[in-house]
Amino acid sequence: MTALRFRDVGFRYPGAARPALEALAFALAPGEAAGVFGANGAGKSTLLRLAMALLHPTAGTVEVLGEATDGRAPEDLAGPVALAFQQPEAQLFATTVRAELAFGPAQLGWPPARIAARSTEVLARLGLEEVAERHPYDLPLPQRRLVALGTALVTGPRLLLLDEPTAGLDRAHRALVATVVREACADGAAVLAVTHDPAFAAEALDRALTLDGGRLVADEPAERWLRDGSAGALPPPPAILVARGLGLPAGIRREAAIAEAVASRLLGRG
Amino acid sequence: MTLRLDGVRFRHPGSRTWALDGLSLAAPAGAVTWLAGPLGAGCSTALLVAAGLAPRVTGGIREGTVRLWHADPGAGGLVGRLAYVTANPAHQLSGVAETVWQEVAFAPANLGWPVERIRAAVDAALDRLGLAALHARDPRTLSGGELQRVVLAAMLVLAPAAWLLDEPASALDAAGRDALAGLLRSEAARGAVVVVASADADWMAGVADQLVVVRAGRAVLAGAPAALLAGEAIWADGGPGSTSVAALARAVASRAPGPRTAPPWPVDVASAVARWR
Repeated sequence: MTALRFRDVGFRYPGAARPALEALAFALAPGEAAGVFGANGAGKSTLLRLAMALLHPTAGTVEVLGEATDGRAPEDLAGPVALAFQQPEAQLFATTVRAELAFGPAQLGWPPARIAARSTEVLARLGLEEVAERHPYDLPLPQRRLVALGTALVTGPRLLLLDEPTAGLDRAHRALVATVVREACADGAAVLAVTHDPAFAAEALDRALTLDGGRLVADEPAERWLRDGSAGALPPPPAILVARGLGLPAGIRREAAIAEAVASRLLGRG
Repeated sequence: MTLRLDGVRFRHPGSRTWALDGLSLAAPAGAVTWLAGPLGAGCSTALLVAAGLAPRVTGGIREGTVRLWHADPGAGGLVGRLAYVTANPAHQLSGVAETVWQEVAFAPANLGWPVERIRAAVDAALDRLGLAALHARDPRTLSGGELQRVVLAAMLVLAPAAWLLDEPASALDAAGRDALAGLLRSEAARGAVVVVASADADWMAGVADQLVVVRAGRAVLAGAPAALLAGEAIWADGGPGSTSVAALARAVASRAPGPRTAPPWPVDVASAVARWR
């Protein structure tokens, strides 16, 4: 079963002069992590909202985990599907971080012991144990973003939708988010991430969907984006440019692999 | 003309710990000063305090002195001269404007500028941020990156003498980042105080004249970005760390220790390639 399928999807906001998205067609398989790239206003966040049934297509069909979103609301999808918003405040309303994480599973009717165990696990994974009893609004914005990610991860979704998950995060936490995305994929989840962070994209994503003016203008493996993408919507990250400058084999894309290749060459093994 | 913080402590309302704990720094006019620190180090709070919004608007307790041209921004009275840009642009909209143009005109109109001056200044600010084509859009329908540019235009229109910006590029695309870098440089060249809190070292490395590293509410390192970014001290005690290339260099050194890989780290692509070729 595909995790997400867009069949010739168009969407026009009420009263808008032109559609935000047009003739969008792609499918995402379980275990796949795709990035959505594009300039500001290209339609990236609209695409995520359609996948979460926060919006419904004005043309074509969006299928989530094998079923069309027609006539369904976000709460019908919640659990198996989760979205972490670009503005974390859009989804944070509980009075403690721990309660925030417990909300989704409680709505799904999980037993309290399972909710507690899973919340604790996700808090630990995201380094949020120390702030578990704090009010989400008392946390700095980057940490609120991690809490929003935690609320998305806590139900173990099969389709994880992320809108700028690394924006404003420090280097250590950007790396953590990349690792968490890889773990979710290894677990069989499909991930669709809107991002302007090239290093995160190179580290965590296998596939690049590029939007321009509401149309899908490229759908390619991450390797091809990293090899050819120079003037595109998202420039390749600095580590890739170093690899290119040194003439390392194309296809090495993660920082650890590039470091390994450079070290081998300096040690005379490469 | 300088923004100065001396021994500043700040506690958020209801908090038992000091978010700023003896922070001292100077941000001269005509330069871009970059605040960097690990998550929760206090960079955002430092901007709130420097803008005078904390504690006047946020509540909480402040100790120590803050001076912008010998005035305490905490006393108010710098409206229209000091531009504070929050990390969350949606929070900064007036909420009463129906178009992008009106949003950018909001502060000048409230300051009582003559209408011709408002028109000229708003059009110029929209042009500068690449927003002319969006002037008639409802701000509430914009994307995150577009909104970030509107908020910047709404400050630029005032020609502020001091800019305090919190992660101003976090939602911007590559073109928007380049444009904002140019804007910050030209505002500094005009003689403004420009202070940016950002965790994006790859972007700020090419923008900043001065780097102040903040940990646990205190400035622990300050100096030229090139030297600090190439050093090891910026990685200690939780970071914030340096550029992607410096991170790669540390990963290379751990795998192939020796004089060719030892610090100072290369900070940009060209110097890394030159060193390892």
